[in-house]
This record gives sequence, structure tokens and C-alpha cells, in this order.
Amino acid sequence: MTPEYGIKLAVHLISTDFGDHAAKVCDCLLRKGTLALDDIVRTAKLSPQQVKTYLKVLIQHNCVQAFAMEHEGGCGEGPVVVTQYMLLFDNILHRMRFPKLLAIVSKELDKECEELFEAFLKHGWLTLQQILDRVPSNQNEGNCTVQDALRGSFTKLVNAHYVERCPAPDPFLVPPDEEKTPARKHDANSAKAVEELEIGEQCDIAKATPSKAKGFPVITDTCGDINGDKSIGNPPGVVIGKKRKQDALKLDTESGAASEKDVPWRANYKELVCHLRHKACIENVRARLDSGAAIVLSAMLEATQSAEKNVKEEISVLLSISTITEAVMQSEAGCSMTLERIRASLVQLGCHPNGVGADRTYNIDLKKIIELAQNDEVESMVLKRYGREAHRIFRLLSKSCCPLETTKISDTTFIEKKEAAKILYKLWKDECLHMEKIVLNESRQSQFMLWKVKKDTFWRHILDEMYHAALNLSIQIIELRRDKHVGALRERDVRLAILLQASLMKLDDALMLFHDF
Amino acid sequence: MPFSDRRVPMPNINGRSEPSFYALFISTLRKAPCLSPSPNAAFRSISEFKPPRPLPSSCLSNSDHCSHYFPQVILILGMSRSQGLSLKRKRPDTNAASQPLLDAERVLYDLIRSKEDMGIWTRDMKRETNLPDNVVTKSLKALQVKKLIKEVVNIQSKGRKHYMAVEFEPSKELTGGAWYVEGNLDTEYIKILKETCVKVLSKLKVATAEGISESINKTGLCATECSTQQIAEILRALVLDNEIMEVRSSGSGEFSSIPIGAVCYRCTNKGGLGGGGPKIGAMASIPCGVCPRITQCTPDGIISPKSCAYYAKWLDF
Repeated sequence: MTPEYGIKLAVHLISTDFGDHAAKVCDCLLRKGTLALDDIVRTAKLSPQQVKTYLKVLIQHNCVQAFAMEHEGGCGEGPVVVTQYMLLFDNILHRMRFPKLLAIVSKELDKECEELFEAFLKHGWLTLQQILDRVPSNQNEGNCTVQDALRGSFTKLVNAHYVERCPAPDPFLVPPDEEKTPARKHDANSAKAVEELEIGEQCDIAKATPSKAKGFPVITDTCGDINGDKSIGNPPGVVIGKKRKQDALKLDTESGAASEKDVPWRANYKELVCHLRHKACIENVRARLDSGAAIVLSAMLEATQSAEKNVKEEISVLLSISTITEAVMQSEAGCSMTLERIRASLVQLGCHPNGVGADRTYNIDLKKIIELAQNDEVESMVLKRYGREAHRIFRLLSKSCCPLETTKISDTTFIEKKEAAKILYKLWKDECLHMEKIVLNESRQSQFMLWKVKKDTFWRHILDEMYHAALNLSIQIIELRRDKHVGALRERDVRLAILLQASLMKLDDALMLFHDF
Repeated sequence: MPFSDRRVPMPNINGRSEPSFYALFISTLRKAPCLSPSPNAAFRSISEFKPPRPLPSSCLSNSDHCSHYFPQVILILGMSRSQGLSLKRKRPDTNAASQPLLDAERVLYDLIRSKEDMGIWTRDMKRETNLPDNVVTKSLKALQVKKLIKEVVNIQSKGRKHYMAVEFEPSKELTGGAWYVEGNLDTEYIKILKETCVKVLSKLKVATAEGISESINKTGLCATECSTQQIAEILRALVLDNEIMEVRSSGSGEFSSIPIGAVCYRCTNKGGLGGGGPKIGAMASIPCGVCPRITQCTPDGIISPKSCAYYAKWLDF
């Protein structure tokens, strides 16, 4: 379940870019989950035409995914196919970090690719034809050269996986298997999250093909679906694409060779998030250990990037020492590193060799690096908010695998027992700690308090506070921009804008640690 | 004068004798109301001692005086104690057995003595002797006046009145151990030990708790000999403060002198000598991250980012 301020931040971002009505549609999808058109109209209190328009805009900008699914009809009717809409919360948050994503493309590729990629971020879905049409038609001379250059930049972006084909406008999906999600029996929120993840994964697989490509999806009324499309009657278990098989064949026949230019493409956020995750791991290792370890890690991640299947890969792919050495020496920063130094860095990184002799392979525990980075962020906040002694107590409880009693905490941290109890109570009141009271017998002197950090609860709380802080920073940036329009630009305003934007990007790095990585 | 400077041998430091500092320190100590109660406090006395008159520039620094004079001073204080010499006026020798005690006093005194260095709480006394409250209170007062019992602080429950016979010293369970002085945490001593451990670890680069303890005791950087257990406790606190980190020896490279798998320590990039301060996280570097009112803040509420005083202060540069 998305935290409250996550919802508010997403609604704010949509409102800033697309207006309040689009924000209403976004809000109701975030709070109610996937909905059909009628349900959105009812909940958002907008007209059907308005809802259709804003859904189209949100789909165009990769914020909403439409899909068709079969449901049981009511009152003895047969199964019906209903088009539903699911909000892509992560993609909405990516709108806040466009400068960061552009910086990746700028660093890895060239300026032309960066400009083209910026168009994808601004406009959402784009076909190759639309990209080529961006060249002004009055430039007759060199038009072909410019178009070829654009094609070249586009190809580079595709080869680097920074852009991907868009999914089919509204693929027909199989309902998630109840047996595979035992969580749903106990926890409605996590069951919903699992269901949405499965739907998202199916949509990813249902990439658009040339025959399906007209650029934008057609949104139909559910009433129309119920009345007119019962005859579609796809048997249960029909998977992606098969619903439109006949239409596809017909189109292929009519248009001859399918026009690749009409296939919509979009920014591939997964690849970019993967990049950012690697970057965060490398920076954490550089700060925590040294630059040598960071160079070795960077080389290993670069060598295994193409083999990674998930963004949140826990362990990197296995590499032999010779492959690691080669990768390190090929990098600019690592060309002078000796084998001994590389081995020492692997030890520092906690990589233990698998196998023996020349067949030894190494991998990195990326999950642990991310966890350490998360701990650093939280501990820094506790230190600033509650002071040095509270920070010491918090670190003790974070590292401990079991709850600790007040006296034990006081002795280990060299804090007077009375003071320790005060700090523990304050941390508990602010939901940083979990407390258990043990009573041995009836007397007051035999009561013991046990304390521990409940990571999952506290981490969720921290994430919500981060969303809240990001929302506040965004509001401040908008206020500043509004003031700029009123009068002449002051040097102070420029400095403030830079400070606020930099703070938002730094906070976004922390946000990604807890949400995306 | 109980003793004079001339009777006590002048200590030498590398062949130089330093009469000025030494004489001044001893004369100041004479004027102190009582002898230092603990070696730690004595060590602090020397390190904090400021001579009442300027010393020649050829004199050594205070830290050198601490390292070299301290053992001699302790010897002198010990001699003073063992020879019955005291800077205080001698009190009349009170022999417990010879003083006449009332029945209730005798019962209570025997009970308190039987508890030796653990002492006993007043409520426990009342329960075990079945004496009325007012009798217990009166008897305890009398025994204290006759210098047969003393009140001690129980670190586990400071509010309770705990009594012990005068001939015993409170046990570790009552005092809290090496880290407590008169019922309070000896924060100054702990701070000195922490700084010493960090200094040693900065020189050794990587070391075990035993190695650090040995180094400290050998070089006499610390007034009293510290056990490995005590040093380990200090190191654990330094790990919690992120000044040092705990690692396991790999047996090679900088760990070559340490057995494989042994727990050892090294300074972090943040701590240690010359290290920069700890890295400030993203939330900690903006007002919202440390705001005590974040839960009441809403975009359009009374407390909001637009009206926030902390934001105004942060942006006002």
C-alpha cells in the first residue's frame, strides 16, 4: 500500500504537469487501486469525457497502464471482458528525477542522444515517425542527413536499452493466480501489491507490435464492453496478443510490410533505475571503504550489467578473478591497480571466493550494500534529530538481533540508566523503537522493558517522511518560480533555486534507496 | 607537616629532575581537603593541575608530568596511607566491639556486618529483623554516629538507602564497577580511555582488543591498568559512535599478524585522527528531516512549507 504522503507527492507531481483534473484521476486510482472507467468517473466526480481525456494523457506519459481482464458477470451472465486502468506510481515519481535520468544518458552517450531522450521524457510515447517529423519541413537541404542522425541517435538509445517498445495499448491479461499469492489470505495490502506487480509484469511482456501500433490506445466505455463485446468470448487462459490475432493478421495483410516507424517507444525506466542503483552502491562503498574498493565494484557491476534480470538483484553475477582483473584494468581509474590490490579490495567488499584454484569466482552482495546505505541514512537522521546518545542507543539496537533490556543498553552505551530510559521512551514515542514490558512477578521492581528496532515498520515510516519532505521541497520550488515571474530575477532567488533543487535531488537519492533499490 | 618534600625522592625524567612542578603539585595536594579517593581522580588531578605561578619554559608539559610523576605520587599516597600518615587530622580510633550498643542496635549491626560488601537495604533490614520502623531508623542513626556503619549508593537503585559496615568497601554490583565513581558514571575517565584507544588504533592501523589493551598498559598512557574486557567495552562504544569499525581478520595484508577470523578494529574514515566528520544524510540536511512538527505539517495547513519558520531560517542566507 502506498504511504499517505507518497500518494500526495504523486498527486502533486501530476497536478503540476497536467492540471487538477488529471490529479483527481490519479488520486482515485492511487487510493482505490485498479479501476474500470465507470468507477473512475464515479469516484473522481468528473464527466466520462474528461476522464477519458486525462486517462489518455496519463497513458501517453506512462503514468497509467490499461489492460483488459475477464471477470465473472453478475446475475447469471457469462464472463465479461472489462478494461481496467492501473496507476504506475513509480513512473510518476520518475517525473521528479528527469534531470538525473538525462544526466545518465548525457554521460554514457552524446548530446544528440540526450536531446532525443529528453523528448521521450517530455512527450512520453513517441514513434520513430514522430521523431523524424520533428525535423522542420522547411529545412529541405540536409533533411536526410538530419533524419539519419536522428535515426542513429535513436538506434543508440535502443541499443543501450534506454528506450523500449511500449506495451500493447490494452493487452488482455490472465487474472493473477490465487494459489501463487498466499499472502493475500492474510494481508489485503500486500496481496494488492502482489497482484499489481503481476499485472505490471504481464503488461511488460505484451509489447506493442507494428500491427497494433497506431500510437495511442482506444479507450472504450465499459458499458460498450458489456453490451457489445460479449461475443469476443475469449476462453479463459487466453494470453497476451491472441485476442487480437485476427485483427493483427488482417492489418499485416493490408499494410504489407509492417511499419516499424509506427511502433511507439518510451523511456526504459528500469534500465535507468538499475544504473542509479549501481551508482548508489559505488558511492556508498567509496565513502565507507576507499576508492580502490569502489573501482573494483564499479568494474564488476559494469561487466555483469547485461546479465542482470531484475532491478533489485540481491547478488551480482559470479565472475572469475581474471575477468574482474581485466574489467578493472580496462577502466580508466583502475588501470594501475595490481592483482594484490584487487584481491584486497574484494576482501574489503566482503566477497568470498566460490570454488578453488583458478576456477574461483566472486560475487557481490548488493543487498547488503543497499542495507548499509539505508542504515547510514537513518542513523544520520537519528543523530541530527535526537542527539549523540540516542544515536548510540539506536545503533546498538539496530545491530542487536534480539531485544535488549534498559540496564543492558545503559551499561553498553555508557549512558546513565535514567537518561537512557528517557531517550528510549522518546524514540519509542516517535515510532523508532518497539517496546515490550516483561513482568516477572507482581512487584514493580520486577518489571523489565525490552527494546528493539522494528525495521520494516520504521523503514516504512521513514519512507513516508521522505515523501513528505520531497513534497515540501517541491512546493517551495514552485513558490519560488511563481515569485520569479512577478519581478526581476534576483541573484538570491537563483541561489535559492539551486539549493532547493539540489536538496530535492539528494533527498530523491535517499528515497530511491528505500523504495526503488 | 606530616611529611615534607625533602623526605620524598625527587623523580627523574630522562635524567632531568623537575623540582618546580613536583613541589608545586605536592604543596597543592596538601591543601586539598582529603586524599584522592581513586587512582582515576588522582590521574585527573595531575592532568588538570595548573601551577599557581609560571614555570620555566624548560619544564615538561602536563601530559609528561602525568605519565612520569603519577606512579610516584600514588606511591607517596600509598605510603601515607599505610604509615597512617594523612593530610587530614587523625580521628580517634573507634573500635566497634568496645562500644556499648542497645539491643536493637546490636541486632541491626550484626545483620549489616553479615552482609559484608553487599550491604543491605533498609526495607530488607526491617523485614529480616521484624523491628518497628522508628526503632530501625533511630538505631541506624545511632550506628552511623558511632561510625560503625556507612550509607552507600546502590547503582541499581539509587533511591534506596543502603547500609554497610565501615570496614567493607562496596562490591562491584553496588558501585557499578570500574566505570562508576560515587554512584555516578565516570564520564571523564571513559572519555579519556576512548580518546586513548582511538589514538592507539590510529597508530596501529588494525588491532584486536588485546593488542590495544597491551599497547595502552605498556606505554602507560593510562593511569590505571585496564583489563582487556574493559578495553573491549570501550571499543564497543566507539563502534557505536562510528569512530572505529569492527572487522574480521583475513590473515593477510594488514591482518597478517592477527589470526584469521579474529575480531579486530580499525578507524573509520569518519573517526580517527584527522578524519572528517560523519557524512550527513539527505534527510538530516533539510529542515523537514529533523522537524519535530513534521506529523502536523500539511501543504495547506497552519503548519505548512509555505509558513514554516525552520524553512525560512534555512533559506535565509
